Amino acid sequence: MRRVTSFTQAAEAHLDDVYGYLAWFTGDRGTAEDLAAETFERALRLWHRFDPGRGSARTWLCQLARTVALDHFRSERRRLRREQLAAVDERFDERLADGLSPELEEALRGLSAGEREVLALRVLLDLDASTAARVLGISATNCTTRLNRALRKLEEALDVAA
Amino acid sequence: MSPRDVVAELRAARVTAPVELRERVRLVAAAEPAPPRRLLPRRRWLVALVPVAAAAAAAGVVLTRPSHTNSVLHGQAVERAAAPRPVPPQSATLGKLAVPSSTTRVQRYGASLALRVANPAQVSDAVKRALHVVASLGGYPVSVHVSSAGSAGSGELVLKVPRSHVQQAIARLSQLGTIVGEQVDVQDLQGGINATDRTIARLQRQLAELRAEPQTDAITRQIAALTARIAGLQRARASTIRSAHYATIQLSISTRTVARPHHHGHGPLHGLGVAFRWIGIGLVYGLALGAPLVLVAALLWLATRALRRRREDALLSRR
Repeated sequence: MRRVTSFTQAAEAHLDDVYGYLAWFTGDRGTAEDLAAETFERALRLWHRFDPGRGSARTWLCQLARTVALDHFRSERRRLRREQLAAVDERFDERLADGLSPELEEALRGLSAGEREVLALRVLLDLDASTAARVLGISATNCTTRLNRALRKLEEALDVAA
Repeated sequence: MSPRDVVAELRAARVTAPVELRERVRLVAAAEPAPPRRLLPRRRWLVALVPVAAAAAAAGVVLTRPSHTNSVLHGQAVERAAAPRPVPPQSATLGKLAVPSSTTRVQRYGASLALRVANPAQVSDAVKRALHVVASLGGYPVSVHVSSAGSAGSGELVLKVPRSHVQQAIARLSQLGTIVGEQVDVQDLQGGINATDRTIARLQRQLAELRAEPQTDAITRQIAALTARIAGLQRARASTIRSAHYATIQLSISTRTVARPHHHGHGPLHGLGVAFRWIGIGLVYGLALGAPLVLVAALLWLATRALRRRREDALLSRR
């Protein structure tokens, strides 16, 4: 893995990863853009705390992005409660990623945020189980279980669609 | 579609950040100051500083430890302050504390002498010779206690020696063994005797005046009282002078070695050991007092983490 020595280098190197992770996590590219920008703003403020000896910059940025996303989810839930808007499907008006078949994209949208998150980390970013587990704050075994469950749901959704 | 195909298609998918976002992030990154990275991260500084601090503390403990010489001198000083005082063996016929008695004033003279001999047989021999010395000087023993047990023996003598010969007596007694301690007490009695003499003279003047008056029953009673009082004072005066005629010498003869001052000189790591012992005590107390708090804190942390995860799961279970 490329060794990052400055925040600018880290931002350049991992912007796509953070953005992709957030896009799959939130299921909305527009929201992911805002959250990614917020993530890097926060990362700049906290860059002095980053210790390369404890993990890669990509892992650290993903952890920050997850915190930002969770804050967003919480505030969104409060907003929805206030406005009593139960439906959130209208947010999915863009493609989650380039190169996905419409069936797979639809199946992906049918997953929960938590399931899409583990797919983003393990498949899209290709993190190993322990690193992904560290980002998620769970054990590696639990992370693998979540991944298998998400893949099984995708498979079932695709079978139904076929 | 097989799971492997699903994963392959997902892996093939790429999400590229839009240009607008890239520009935003570049603007954010442009605000990055250029702080020089530390040579070592903060935790590594701590790791490096802990042994250095421990070494400095250990050095401080070792270097501030009292030196061997000082502790020995201190022990000697303490021993000297206590009676009997040790003196070099056979250093003189009289110890440094020997005070000559006055030949013109009445004094009560007392001396203590501690001697050391090699074995119980020498204790017995020294006691015999001490009694002989005292007798030859016109004195007498008040009490003699001699005991022996195994290789140890001791003798305790209280001797009365004419005050005029006390110097000579001490000098000869000192030769019976190794002097390990001595003490001299001199109390001047002349002032009290002079006061008694003045009182007697005044009472005798009163007595003479009373005898010159016509003898009545009252006068006769007063004369009798004064006479009795004068006689009592004269007896007390004579007793005081008589008691001061002899000096009291307490002689201790023992085979036991002199109690050495406690040896405070320890090895070079003694201070470190003491420091570690106190640190250990502190740790035990800290553990006893802090363990319940740590346990409660750990339980709270676990509960908080479980609650947070449950909330996160609930939050992320939405589609």
